[in-house]
Amino acid sequence: MQDRKGLLLLLFVLLMSQSAVVAEDSLVVVMGSDSDVERLTREQVVHIFLGRFRRLPNGLTATPIDRPQDQSLMTDFYQLLVGKSPAEIRSYWSRLIFSGKTAPPRQAGSGQEVVRWLAETPGAIAYMRPDECPPQLRVVLRLGP
Amino acid sequence: MSQVIDIPLAAISRLAFACSALLLAPAATALEASLGSTDLSLRGFGTLGAARSTDGSAELVRDLSQPHGISDHWSLTTDSLFGLQVNARFSPELEAVVQAVTRYKYDETYNPDLSWAFLRLTPNPVLTVRVGRFGTEFYMLSDSRMVGYSYNTVRPPPDYYGTLPFNYLDGLDLAITHPFAGGLLTGKLFTGQSREQSPLGAPPDFDLNESLLIGGYLEYLDGPWQIRLGQTSVRFDNDLPLESFYQQLPKATADELRVKDQWSHFSSLGIVYDQGPFQSQLMLSKTDNEHGTFQDTWAGYLQLNYRIKDWTPFLGLSFATSDPKALSHPIPPVTDPYQLDFYSNQRTVFVGARWDFYRNVCLKAQVDVIRGSADSKFLYRYETEDWDGSMTIMSLALDFVF
Repeated sequence: MQDRKGLLLLLFVLLMSQSAVVAEDSLVVVMGSDSDVERLTREQVVHIFLGRFRRLPNGLTATPIDRPQDQSLMTDFYQLLVGKSPAEIRSYWSRLIFSGKTAPPRQAGSGQEVVRWLAETPGAIAYMRPDECPPQLRVVLRLGP
Repeated sequence: MSQVIDIPLAAISRLAFACSALLLAPAATALEASLGSTDLSLRGFGTLGAARSTDGSAELVRDLSQPHGISDHWSLTTDSLFGLQVNARFSPELEAVVQAVTRYKYDETYNPDLSWAFLRLTPNPVLTVRVGRFGTEFYMLSDSRMVGYSYNTVRPPPDYYGTLPFNYLDGLDLAITHPFAGGLLTGKLFTGQSREQSPLGAPPDFDLNESLLIGGYLEYLDGPWQIRLGQTSVRFDNDLPLESFYQQLPKATADELRVKDQWSHFSSLGIVYDQGPFQSQLMLSKTDNEHGTFQDTWAGYLQLNYRIKDWTPFLGLSFATSDPKALSHPIPPVTDPYQLDFYSNQRTVFVGARWDFYRNVCLKAQVDVIRGSADSKFLYRYETEDWDGSMTIMSLALDFVF
């Protein structure tokens, strides 16, 4: 009897998690078009944004940019990339920041600032919705359902 | 026993400070400013935690750096703490980090400790060098034990992390990270000296100052898997403050018990599997000692976490079990009870949940059911004759970062 209840609970939990993943739109990961990085794998983007390893295929140091002002975009990005909620990402960074490890991504105030930083900073990398991606940027990875 | 009740004036003012910081915290995210080309940031973390046990016959400590543990009345002392950290970034390659933490510590005060003060040099993404004071990395998560917001339990499992009184060291570390076989391989080496104290129930404390620490680890990360093998050795620079006891023993016996200039070795294996809402941790450690005081110990825990929206229930099992060193010159009526003071033999089932109800703030509740032998004493203080090795602990915590 107890076992069956446990099983039902587990099924319920699995269903909940499935429905949580389906909702997002697709996103693009972008860099400045003068960077000579053509494509990145999902794994490389995970390493860059989670501060594990920030060397680009061309040898430059990657500078990831977050968009805390646009919570729904940021939420979708980390959900699509690693299946994590904003609280889990903040918890992850609190461990690295307060143990004196890697720095978190740079925090951009607006979409315009992201575009400016991508143009100014070699190795800068950011994410956005496909319809807000200006032509001077290069898509290095697509994330989507 | 009234000591716990005596401390609180200082404690309450510190906690009031922590609480006011908490109220401010959600409004202010990390404060950031620039001075010339230097980027400065001020961040903080803290926990307001209350815990009690069902058993007044012993006090379980969170770790051996605290003089009192969890007793049979609700108390804020064990888990509450507050930390502030300043990062000064001089260039993308060079950063200085200074952190101070106030918590209930060995001398029953809340005087803040300078826990970190180091320079970090990252000349390229492969190499990182730190010089100064930084966290010890005996085990996988041991340098973020104070940051409750970074994990789901109220406190790191005491069976596993509790025997470590070392939080920081003054020294140097060097880490190299490189892609390897589709994943990421990291190797790290560190060395330095401790500056800390460990209380023994009554003053004087065990002075860890100038104890030498040398260690390193190898970590492999691939997709959801993270595996780490670690090894740290400590050479104590002082004996336990039991000189008059040692003096009464024959020299050969006393020398076997003295820890000064003797090594303790800590080996560990950590495996983390982290996929979407599911996260699990398996940690194992083995301690070996070249002296007859601290006991050779196996410890470990398995913890399973599953996030459902803002809730993360978790379930875990931890254990610690030790063996006294066989002495060449024992005096059983004296050395047996001495060695028994450092004995562990217990298992804990812990279950609880974390609720991320607000940005940068979470609430946790947890129950620990501990079953051990009546002589399992190392992680307890103030055992009475009624102590039977078993207790249940209830804990609540509010964690925040800003």
